[in-house]
Amino acid sequence: MPVEIDAEKCGKIVNCPGEGLCIKVCEQGAIVNENDDPVLIPENCDDCDLCIQSCPNQAISKKS
Amino acid sequence: MVSVEREGEQKRSLSYRKNKCVGCGICSDICPTEALRLGPLVPIARGLVDMDYVNVDKNKCALCGLCASSCPFDAFQFKIDDINIKENELYPKWKSSAEIDEEKCLYCKACETACPRDAITVSRELPDRNKLVSGEIEINEDTCIYCGICDEMCPADAITMNNENIQDPEIIVDKDKCVYCLICKRACPVDAIKAACRSCSYGVYEINPEDADTKGYTFIDNETCVKCGWCQEICPVDAAIVSKPFEGEAIFAEEAECKGESCHACMDICPCNAVSLEDGKSVINPDFCILCGACAKACPQNRIIIKRDKINLENVRSKSWQKQIDKLAGVESK
Repeated sequence: MPVEIDAEKCGKIVNCPGEGLCIKVCEQGAIVNENDDPVLIPENCDDCDLCIQSCPNQAISKKS
Repeated sequence: MVSVEREGEQKRSLSYRKNKCVGCGICSDICPTEALRLGPLVPIARGLVDMDYVNVDKNKCALCGLCASSCPFDAFQFKIDDINIKENELYPKWKSSAEIDEEKCLYCKACETACPRDAITVSRELPDRNKLVSGEIEINEDTCIYCGICDEMCPADAITMNNENIQDPEIIVDKDKCVYCLICKRACPVDAIKAACRSCSYGVYEINPEDADTKGYTFIDNETCVKCGWCQEICPVDAAIVSKPFEGEAIFAEEAECKGESCHACMDICPCNAVSLEDGKSVINPDFCILCGACAKACPQNRIIIKRDKINLENVRSKSWQKQIDKLAGVESK
């Protein structure tokens, strides 16, 4: 099951302490920058969860 | 850079040394006041962000020095009245080490190439080539037409032809380089070269065994060495002796799924180059693993479990410290 990005916690990439770290850390290209928001491409997500543990805003999670 | 410093009866200071830290998180596991917090390990290991693996909370740190004593990589420097506790006999000391037996070392540089930390330097002095072969060579300058064929063909780069001055060209044989292979003599179109190899004409040429020795020195920089054991495994003559900081094993939680190529967080953070992917799943080579636990901390699936049976930290005099240090033993995952 792909991850979910909480837009409210995330804010804009321009304000991200990791400068869009989720996008950089995902080598599957499952998160892309669209108008300064990280947007998930679910079919690319391999559930590795690297983005979850890397996000400085704890904005990425999975439904349990 | 000093992370925390206070003056009371004693002046105590703790400094984090980023270049030595591997992100294993032993310090944060062991800190009695929970003053050490880990940064985003995988992005740091991949160089995506310029941050420290460990952050010290000045308000929580009690300046006890346990982190500095228990870090196998010496990434924290703890000083009391400006004296490093490494010099203080009251504090624990790691028994781990890496050494080269100079009597056995052949200076082959295998360890230098294999070392994942670039901690080994081999400097070697090769034997004199002209002591290992013997012969005669002479170019008759009256016959020589300075065609340069010998210069181009010489496999040892021993012949140099210089015809910049077309009126007065010269041809020079470097006898330190010549191995008397006679290629030049055979290729010369005007038979201007006289050469003979003494080794060939009289069978095996007797040489002084000492003249054939490569001399040198192999240096392990203990500041960067992590005692991973690569040098010990790769050395063809068993000249490298490594004693690791922990004994035990790294095992995989069966219920957790390795994401392999998608993730490879463990490979990226491992300071020992001990992790590889086999059939899309990460495997740890125990020969090179030092059980530091960086991979277990980095794995987003919590798949890696570090079981430390023995901690080679000696001279732990305080019972409360021993209790904290014992937390590193046994099963630990995240």
